[in-house]
Amino acid sequence: MGLHNWKLKEIVVMSVLSVVFAVVYLAFLPVGKLLAGLFGPIGYDLIFGIWFIVSIVAAYIIRKKGAAFLSETIAATVEMLLGNAMGPILILTGIIQGLGAEAAFAVTRYKSYNLAVLMLAGVGAAVFSFVWGYFRSGYAVFGTGYILSMLVVRMISGALISGVLGKAISDALAKTGVLTGFALGKEQRRKKAA
Amino acid sequence: MFLHKLNPSIKALTVIVAVIGLALIFDPITPLLFSIWTIVFTFLFGKVNIKYYLLFLLPFMIISLGMLWTTIAFSDAPEHPAQTIHLLLWEIPEEDIVAALSLVFRMFAFATLSLLFIFTTDMVHFILSLMQQCKLPPKLAYGVLAGYRFLPLMKDEFNQIQEAHQVRGVKRTKKVRESIKQYRRFMIPLLAGAIRKAERTAVAMESKGFTGEKDRNFYRRFTVKSIDWIFLIVTLTALIAIAYVSNVLGYFSWYNGQF
Repeated sequence: MGLHNWKLKEIVVMSVLSVVFAVVYLAFLPVGKLLAGLFGPIGYDLIFGIWFIVSIVAAYIIRKKGAAFLSETIAATVEMLLGNAMGPILILTGIIQGLGAEAAFAVTRYKSYNLAVLMLAGVGAAVFSFVWGYFRSGYAVFGTGYILSMLVVRMISGALISGVLGKAISDALAKTGVLTGFALGKEQRRKKAA
Repeated sequence: MFLHKLNPSIKALTVIVAVIGLALIFDPITPLLFSIWTIVFTFLFGKVNIKYYLLFLLPFMIISLGMLWTTIAFSDAPEHPAQTIHLLLWEIPEEDIVAALSLVFRMFAFATLSLLFIFTTDMVHFILSLMQQCKLPPKLAYGVLAGYRFLPLMKDEFNQIQEAHQVRGVKRTKKVRESIKQYRRFMIPLLAGAIRKAERTAVAMESKGFTGEKDRNFYRRFTVKSIDWIFLIVTLTALIAIAYVSNVLGYFSWYNGQF
């Protein structure tokens, strides 16, 4: 974790984003539970992208190595402390999902933050979280077809909810002008000037 | 109470190790007995409000039921289809029942372990302990603490924005679609306000001399005492003992995705 080239304000803003989205994560838990109660475990996968969104938002705004990983880990930690009954194991879940999103940005060497890369980050988080869920929650009891459809649904959800929606939220934030001190705000100003 | 005074980092480590241990085992008896052990332990050595405890456990009950029926409905073809159990009107292979119960009790055991942690640990103490015991960088730790402190402020801000919207003629609504639209209207101003505040907080921290260096002193110190290790050892011993009992009863099996 190369925190030395992070400014303190970037760290605090990332933490605040993580805390806010931790609340969002917790708020969507009953929605997931309801869907899972109706459709079985695949109900969760429909909206699973919600739980990766802070990675995409933080990485897209701050554009530093580790933003996706750290923000998701912090969000998971705060979510647990606010009362997700999964407990400390949720930190591990957050670490793994964060690594999945981070992997997509690492592949592009932290140079490109277009929609395709952001969607890829959502898919990366989905794949990593699925492998982890496979071992932790024992998905192996299900038939192969069911497992595959769970994975595909989760990947689509990651691309759309965290990738597309995450970008939309960040862009809307940049429009308000609060991000002028951050990479995304600077990029948008340059675009306007051009 | 004893559980509240344990070192938060060691407590978290204990829970994580126990969860990994449970994840390696796949039978119905071990996690069931271990959940009972954890619940008894929580109420014996912690000060826990039983109403809240049940409230937190309830969602797990609901998802367990969802798990139960899907596991039975979507599981692979059984190896011994002849062994069946009658349940109401259906005849279900015994293997599927055992697999489903294993899955459900395992989730239940995870939940009780987590509740043991959540109900006996203060968030601020946990972060401070992570910084002092687990080498979490102070920059990050205090950043998170600052962010956490914003939560109650944001609740006030949320009410303010809501009132501001209402003054300007946004109507209260009970329709799902309308309320989603309204949440979208809240989200951006709320986040923008939080980011502004975060930036100011960072400036304030730096102007008061916060450098984020690891070599610093602490107002509240957290240490690891022998009682913390005893807690870790007792918990893991209990897990092994319970796995042994399950083995004697003839249920124990390792998890290797065989179902």
